[in-house]
Amino acid sequence: MRLRLTPRRWRSGLAALALGTAVSGLAAPRPLAAEDRILLRGNYYREASTRILAPEVVVSKDLPDERFNVGVGYLLDAVSSASIAAGAAAVTGGDRVFTEMRHGTTVSANSKLGDNYLSAFFRHSTESDYRGRMLGASYARDVLQRSGTISATYSYSFDRAFWIRANIRDLHPWTSTGDTNLLQVHYLNLGYTHALHPTVLAGLNVEGIVARGPQDNPYRKVLNGLDESHPLLRQRLAPSVFVRWALPKARLVIEPRYRYYADDWGIRAHAIDTRIHIRATRNLLFRLRYRYYTQSGAFFWTEDGFFEHDAPYRTADPKVSRFLSHTPGAQVAFRMDPLAERVEALHFLRGAWIQATYNHVFQTNRFGNARLGSVSLSMPF
Amino acid sequence: MPRAAIAAAIVAAIACTQAACVTVRPSERQVLSRPEMDPARDAPEEVWHSHVESAREGAFGGHGAAGGGCGCG
Repeated sequence: MRLRLTPRRWRSGLAALALGTAVSGLAAPRPLAAEDRILLRGNYYREASTRILAPEVVVSKDLPDERFNVGVGYLLDAVSSASIAAGAAAVTGGDRVFTEMRHGTTVSANSKLGDNYLSAFFRHSTESDYRGRMLGASYARDVLQRSGTISATYSYSFDRAFWIRANIRDLHPWTSTGDTNLLQVHYLNLGYTHALHPTVLAGLNVEGIVARGPQDNPYRKVLNGLDESHPLLRQRLAPSVFVRWALPKARLVIEPRYRYYADDWGIRAHAIDTRIHIRATRNLLFRLRYRYYTQSGAFFWTEDGFFEHDAPYRTADPKVSRFLSHTPGAQVAFRMDPLAERVEALHFLRGAWIQATYNHVFQTNRFGNARLGSVSLSMPF
Repeated sequence: MPRAAIAAAIVAAIACTQAACVTVRPSERQVLSRPEMDPARDAPEEVWHSHVESAREGAFGGHGAAGGGCGCG
């Protein structure tokens, strides 16, 4: 037997939501760097029942010059879990840990034409019982003598969900209460960033998602043993604002952020994320972070986890429960130019930087507290 | 969408409209061009945080900023 434990709850975020992440990452419309660069990252997440190791590599190259850039990225999600909620107990007898691999590949093309930035990308990800594909395009334009940037991003994902019943080859389309295993997600992001003052940058973003298709977990059951059943349609909206305020004499940048979220499943959420960037030396940068997050529960969430047999929707997903979290974190980044200049053998590190980040999540939901971190190295070539 | 969100959106839109009247000259952008003032610099980290949050929270978003605005691109 296997993989009733497929960590769908982890992946479901990807299916419906990672659109925004793709937008803000590899394919983001931003000023093109006049250099080729490789980024190596090791990402880590740990909570009571789940551990994620996610190594990642992104290569970007100007072809033939800085007006056109292509990028290729690969991400491996190695998800190890013994979560009872995900079905591990049913499959393994209770105490075995499964490791599930998700492979994600993204290719992008970016172009700068005057004050216009264009980007297009395609992402393909696959794991044993899920296949995700996403197409997207972004446009950004500098305005008001380049004091402002407007941006728009749209992406469309078309994923296929499957259900492994007895073994890895016993794969069945997962349709939930619908008639197809196709999950379609439309994502739109409209943004505006503006330099308000020589030391103040501010931005406004509005993100929306319409997701249609199976969005529940075929392996997860509610407390009285019934299958989980979520609505097939979800419409989501998330406006957010941020400010970056530099205090040059103090070598500080203060960055408050706020995001409001609402969807038609009845979830309302607020996130306040404040960061302080501290430039210790020319090449050494620290960042402190505190994030407060709170959300209400979905209209079909119940605190006791029991549902009637004829209830149209049932869930055991902690993501849609009412909870709050506190996340303190720290980051250190070091530009490696001094090392490259002093050691001849390390000249290739000129323009490179390394960065390490750690965050601790204190949360009141069933996932329990969590740790997440990353180490990254970026080098020109 | 609740009234509070609509009000917040209107306030933000007005703020942006007012802000659009302000233009920072290129000669005044030294501070804005520093790495810690560039939202795009944090993109890989934001991707990871967004990845985690979307898998552990009911909400999404707040991690996408197009960068720019500093005229240093």
